[in-house]
Amino acid sequence: MALRKARWLAWVALALALLLAGGCRRAETTDQAPDVQLTLSPDPDTLVVGPLRLDVTLRDASGAPIDGATDVSLRGDMSHAGMEPVLATAAGQGNGIYRADFTWTMAGDWIVTVEATLPDGRLKVTQFEYAIQPN
Amino acid sequence: MSTPSNPIDPPLIRLEDVVLGRGAPPPRFDVLRAPLLGRLLKARNGRLLLQIPFLLVAVLLVYDGLTGPQLAPQNLATVTVWIHTRGLVIVAALLLGNVFCMGCPFTLPRTLARRLSGRGRRWPRALRNKWLAVAAFVAFLFLYEWLDLWAGPRLTAAVIIGYFAGAFVLEALFAESPFCKYICPLGTFNFVANTAAPTQITVHDRDVCRACPGKECVNGSARVLGCGTELFPPAVRSNLDCVFCLDCARACPYDNVALAVRRPGQEWTAGAPGDGVWPRRWDVSFLVLVFTFAAVSNAFGMVPPFYDAQAWLAGALGLTSEGARLALTFVALNLALPAVAGLAAAALSRALVGRREPLRVAFSRFAPAFVPLAVAIWLAHYGFHFATGALVIVPVLQNFLLAHGLTWLGVAPNWSLAAILPGEWLLPLQTAAVLAGFAAALFAGNRLARRDFDDPAAAVRAFVPWLLVLLALAVAALATFNLPMEMRGLS
Repeated sequence: MALRKARWLAWVALALALLLAGGCRRAETTDQAPDVQLTLSPDPDTLVVGPLRLDVTLRDASGAPIDGATDVSLRGDMSHAGMEPVLATAAGQGNGIYRADFTWTMAGDWIVTVEATLPDGRLKVTQFEYAIQPN
Repeated sequence: MSTPSNPIDPPLIRLEDVVLGRGAPPPRFDVLRAPLLGRLLKARNGRLLLQIPFLLVAVLLVYDGLTGPQLAPQNLATVTVWIHTRGLVIVAALLLGNVFCMGCPFTLPRTLARRLSGRGRRWPRALRNKWLAVAAFVAFLFLYEWLDLWAGPRLTAAVIIGYFAGAFVLEALFAESPFCKYICPLGTFNFVANTAAPTQITVHDRDVCRACPGKECVNGSARVLGCGTELFPPAVRSNLDCVFCLDCARACPYDNVALAVRRPGQEWTAGAPGDGVWPRRWDVSFLVLVFTFAAVSNAFGMVPPFYDAQAWLAGALGLTSEGARLALTFVALNLALPAVAGLAAAALSRALVGRREPLRVAFSRFAPAFVPLAVAIWLAHYGFHFATGALVIVPVLQNFLLAHGLTWLGVAPNWSLAAILPGEWLLPLQTAAVLAGFAAALFAGNRLARRDFDDPAAAVRAFVPWLLVLLALAVAALATFNLPMEMRGLS
């Protein structure tokens, strides 16, 4: 019976190996523009549960604002699994600023991932961590 | 007539119970004789049918945990382990029985190890109790908090691998499934929680067991392994230590083993005066108290006063290490507090009734009454996470498949899927669960008191100190659930 079970396990392992080998994982989205500076400014900056505005600022290596970025998206995840993420899209305001309405839906630790497609086509990705207090 | 080859660990299982016919009563309904389901469960590879899907899931979780996105809400390992498994374990205990131990994939390599290594050595006598299980349970809760396991996919995968390795190594070295019986924190949780379960192993006819020459249910046969935790079915009176593997039922040559449907929690109060079903052992009783206090402290770890207390400890005691602060907190809340509260309640209870009995007996008498409250608090906590995040598994799985170029579940994850219940329902449901658990604890405590004391006034006096502990725990749980929850994990 040990042999029988070992055979079972071997088949399972083989099936998994085939499944995983057959569908290699795509590389995760990475920052293609390390020379570009992306900052995130909460307004208000009290960091409590509730709605707020998040300003994304893009500047090049010389500090000049970058306008014309597309698909500036924000995604807020809690550190704990199981919470619905907060998704938002930021709209350009000029002077390198992109503004989004956002909501801290729960107190705790948040990771906000900002992605922006720069005018030259490169993808800028930056993560920010916030500790949000109860309201 | 031969007896089981290994001594059965008293007093969870007592041979005199078999002789005197004091096991669980014969089943009114035997799940193993239900059409189709019974045959499926008792089939030679019946357990394997449940373990294989669990194994596939475990392998998938390890893979995604190690190679997938390292944000917990986007990873299958963290979502499945900390949201679904924890929530469903407690629900399954209340509705079905110990199906998670039944389907446990960690025992697959364990079974191989057992076959490969033969019967192995006996687990050291000094460790054949629940003290190590208590330590492992509290240590696991501490590591969960200290290492922010819920926020770490790689760490979660490491926990799964550690479980496989631990089960394999211990089973290869020792007989008696020591990992399940004496160490596994999840198994320990399941053992205590499933004393509330509506199902239990028993036998149809004890005379058949008395006359049975081979005792295959424990000793095993050429075809089937015997009970891994060495429980003897006719003497089983509790779900403690039963992993629901059903090997006993498969091994029995007389088809005499039953998976009986029973009144949930029946074992808490069953038994004759002074001779309850539950063992009057320090270790088992302390485990139950720890299980209950940990239910409260585990939820308390998610509310603002907990973080205030940590900040106070850092300032007042100069404890700059988070690990040291948490260790101190966990030892205080999960070990020292239940020990002090339990000993004080036992001593006071004994003094109030004026009965000359060992403190151990007074300490153990009302331990079963804590289980319903504990299960209710764990349910309220883990149920909250499950209710708010059960559907997150859908976009996370979609994301996983898309990352592998597979569009079986759509071309974009639907991240708006999360809760299965409206948020405003949760606090009322948590409150109802805790109150129901407290009511069940009162009911069980009252029955235990009346079982052991002929004088109703003495019964009340014996129970009052324990009632105060139960009340304090229930109030603490309700207060905790009424505070805003915080989900920390970026220390």
